[in-house]
Amino acid sequence: MSDRAPLLRIRDLAFQSAGAAKAEIEGLSLTVHPRDTLILLGEAGSGAGAVMRLLAQVPSSGANVSGTIQIRERPEQLLGKSTVLDVRTAYLPGPHANVLNPHENVHSQLSLVIARRLRQPKKSAAAELDLALQRLPGAPSPDALNQPPARVAPEALAAGLLAAAVAQTPELLLADDPLGELSPAQAQAFASVLKAEQERLGFALLYSAMRADAARLLGGNLVVLRSGRLIEEGPVSRLATAQSHSYTQTLFRASVPGDGAISGRAAARGEPLLRLQGVQLKRPGKSKDREKITFELRRGASLGLIGEIGSGRRSLARALLGMEPVAAGRIVFDQVDISVLSSAMMARLRRRVSFITGDDDALDPRMTIFDTVSEPLRAHLAMPRDLVAHNRDAALKRVGLAALPGSRTVATLTPFDRRRLQIARAIVSQPLLAVIDEPLHGLDAFAQSVVRDLLRNFRSNEGAAIVFITSDFGLARAFCEDGFVFKEGRIVERGTMSNLLRAPQEPHTRKLLEAVAVLPATGGADMKPVSGPAAAPVAPPTAEP
Amino acid sequence: MSGVAARTGSSRHPRMFRTIIGTAGIAGLGLIAVVVALNNVVARVSAGAVHVAPPLLAPGAGFVLGTDALGRDVMSETVHALAVSFSSAALAAAIAVFVGAFAGFAAVRMPLRLGEFVRAVSGVVRTVPALLLAVVLVALSARDFSTIAVGLAICPAIFNRSFDSAMRLARSRHAVYARASGIPGLTLLRRDLVYELRRNFLYVAGRALAAAATILATLSFLGFGAVPPHRDLGLMIAQARDSYLSAWWCAFFPALALVVFVLCARFAATDDNGDVS
Amino acid sequence: MWRIWLRGAAEFLGSIAGAILLLSLLVVAAQPPHGIWPFATNVLEQFLRAVAGDFGRSTATGAPAMIVAWKAFPATAQLMASGAVLALLIGIPLGFLLSAGRTLRAAAPLLQIVTAIPVFLIALALIWIALRSFHMAAPLHSRNTSLASLLNRGDWSGAWFLYLLPALTVGAAGAARLQLSLQRAADIAWAAPYRSGLRMMGLGLFDINLRFALPEIVAAMLRDLRAFVLALISAAVIVEWIFQIGGAAALFLKAAASHDWSVVSAILFLFALLVIAVGFLGDVFASLILSEEAR
Repeated sequence: MSDRAPLLRIRDLAFQSAGAAKAEIEGLSLTVHPRDTLILLGEAGSGAGAVMRLLAQVPSSGANVSGTIQIRERPEQLLGKSTVLDVRTAYLPGPHANVLNPHENVHSQLSLVIARRLRQPKKSAAAELDLALQRLPGAPSPDALNQPPARVAPEALAAGLLAAAVAQTPELLLADDPLGELSPAQAQAFASVLKAEQERLGFALLYSAMRADAARLLGGNLVVLRSGRLIEEGPVSRLATAQSHSYTQTLFRASVPGDGAISGRAAARGEPLLRLQGVQLKRPGKSKDREKITFELRRGASLGLIGEIGSGRRSLARALLGMEPVAAGRIVFDQVDISVLSSAMMARLRRRVSFITGDDDALDPRMTIFDTVSEPLRAHLAMPRDLVAHNRDAALKRVGLAALPGSRTVATLTPFDRRRLQIARAIVSQPLLAVIDEPLHGLDAFAQSVVRDLLRNFRSNEGAAIVFITSDFGLARAFCEDGFVFKEGRIVERGTMSNLLRAPQEPHTRKLLEAVAVLPATGGADMKPVSGPAAAPVAPPTAEP
Repeated sequence: MSGVAARTGSSRHPRMFRTIIGTAGIAGLGLIAVVVALNNVVARVSAGAVHVAPPLLAPGAGFVLGTDALGRDVMSETVHALAVSFSSAALAAAIAVFVGAFAGFAAVRMPLRLGEFVRAVSGVVRTVPALLLAVVLVALSARDFSTIAVGLAICPAIFNRSFDSAMRLARSRHAVYARASGIPGLTLLRRDLVYELRRNFLYVAGRALAAAATILATLSFLGFGAVPPHRDLGLMIAQARDSYLSAWWCAFFPALALVVFVLCARFAATDDNGDVS
Repeated sequence: MWRIWLRGAAEFLGSIAGAILLLSLLVVAAQPPHGIWPFATNVLEQFLRAVAGDFGRSTATGAPAMIVAWKAFPATAQLMASGAVLALLIGIPLGFLLSAGRTLRAAAPLLQIVTAIPVFLIALALIWIALRSFHMAAPLHSRNTSLASLLNRGDWSGAWFLYLLPALTVGAAGAARLQLSLQRAADIAWAAPYRSGLRMMGLGLFDINLRFALPEIVAAMLRDLRAFVLALISAAVIVEWIFQIGGAAALFLKAAASHDWSVVSAILFLFALLVIAVGFLGDVFASLILSEEAR
């Protein structure tokens, strides 16, 4: 901890929203020093959100707030639901948090926020925003933000939100997990920029995180929260080690990328399940510019399609399932050329394909838990009712959802439960091919750890071939034997995962690897923040000097 | 195939409040149904019986709701007319909901974008108010068919709603995933019908019932609806027009019965679960 | 921006063509020839004539149906316009009031009660109140007398019965429809997730409501203008019949009763044209309000 006078010190904070059954925070004490980083780490419902709301001074009507706050060296004051805090704060949400109006352009909205916070005319606020954007390395041009939020790329939106926050020259930046929904490479780049801005402007950073990755990237001090109570606090470097509370260890273990790479090569597994011969994807441009893709996925083997959002990995996945026509080439699934199949025949073939995705809308929100799991059995197999129930219950038990009432609808489930329900549905389908698409997206650390274990279990028990779509090399390493690395619609590198990890040939592959700090031999991870000494996650033989 | 869903806010009125209103509506409709079923018991004289008492007798001990210009018991006549209005409106609403909702869901699955063509035609039909459409249909057929005419006139609105809802569902991500894993189209159609029916039936049926009751009464009032001696509430009010300035009860009680009936149907419709997209 | 106009214009023309085709079908179906081929030929002939503005001749007067309809249309348009003005004056403040906060929204059932009253009952109630409560006399003049001359003569009862009561009745129907769409739009706008996000970022409720919620509400209402005009037309039909105003709406009822299908189709075409045009303008302006190009 620093010897400097704290920027703010909160003691015995308790917070209960109007109508809530229990307090969101109980007896929490925090100290934030100028220029320091304090990370509030906890799963959903940990209480970090309430701290953010309180410090952002958004009135919570009917909320019950108690405790004291001391700002700089001024006398301590009692905390209430509308206590005025004499600290310049700025709020930095994540790019997927839907904090902006969907119709108005991003630049205009951010300018308005700056204008109101700095009490300036909107024109000069817009100039401040443009200046802040120019200062941020890799930030988009102001013109790129002259679009509604949906048309702005997530990394550009994140940069715009950061520029708007730093343009307010805050003393305290309240960051609501902006790294959480970025890909590892984007998160790493964003964390570097955030830390550089903190260094330049000297603000204190209070970061609310659901996963330990953010702590790993940002460093500083950590407060671990669970159900509104403080579990442990201290520097990230200490708490990330084994000497910490078991809950903290769980959170950090869940964020370790690629723990335990799979062994063995797909070649010996059996007959080919999926064969692509000279396939050209339909894309704008001349056909001679399009690459021809040829590969073979054997039964039980796994292939990683690795790249950022929009890099073309999903186009290939869609094409190989016959959901998108191809410009040229032949795709053979289970020894059948899918280009000659009628839509009805294709539907029959797809019965042996399952999806497990990070998309919370992948399941029908109106269906019950029982119906969701039973549907593939009822739709595909004329199975007796008791056998359907038996398989359904067994699958739900395997994913840990057996205790939930089967009549609950999907709409009422948490993202974690929905993800497990998708796995249960995949289990009963007994697929030949499972498409697993960013399966940990948006989950907190504990949920990620459980889903990762369930997927590992699914992979080893079901024997399905797997196409794994991810931007995280750590995950690809844990689940895939072969990998294609995508960039801007093209496959820039391909090979076995061990080769990609050991000797990446392309700078883009190296960038993705560095982002998750995957170490090829030990399977561990470097816990040092990026701003510290160079982490050297992978040392490829062809590494640039 | 993936992406983060836009998290939109939901809820309109506080849940508890909506439930009370909805329950009141359903209870009211139930009560009306009982009165209608027992109309011959509740009404002290049979329908259309004239000169049972002196004409234009004010409400009082003998005749609780008074008598009209032909000496008919207003209470008995109102109960009989309510029975006619209720049964006609229920039939018209049933036609509209069954045809409109089923056609809407089925049209989405039509090949060659035929469904979208039907939706466009229905959109054009909706440029004519349902009341005027009902008048045209009655004029084309006969006043005896006013119930069917009203059912068909309301149909385009329900068809459009069902079609749009079904289209949204067919394009939703869960449907895309289901199709990609080989779930047959028929299973998806059944899924949509069952769940939408369960979630929105009260809303659609309640609104259709209210609209049908209003249009039927208006048609009768304008002379395009019920044919005497089968008087519904609209016709009763129309026939009371000449005397209602001096004998307000002749029009007031049938009007009250009509408003309460429409209101109950509307209240029942507020207890829906909303759309799922 | 031109794409919005172009798409809207294509839909506008398509809808008009569709309306003419359906009305041609109606006219031919009313007296159908034997066989499918003659039927189709008749529909096509009727369609082509209607596109040129010829909807046939009135069976009652022998005059061209469109001329008959057009002559009666100003009275209806005047009634609908005055009703629309009253609806805007009543419906918008009422809608905002009832959607402003949780407590006021508890008044929603009251609104349901008001909107559940059929238009003909509103008209009868207003007449009853005027004659019995305010002891007004029934009008001596017909609607052909202008409002200005009635007021000049000091014939307040005439002005009340011939102009204000009909407009009030149509206005009440329009207001009910208007505030329902307003409340629906406001409900959606109030629940939007960006409200709390922008609050956290430091914007006040005034800014959020004025700059973001209000355009969304106005756009939603503009998109619902079709329903508003439909409500006004329905109300006009009833009001013209009750108050014996010789407008297109009352003429429609007479023509339908006497099976004068040429006049029916001409009047329906004028109404459809009005609905389509207002809907088109509403959609375009709503898109402009919410589109980037408009800023």
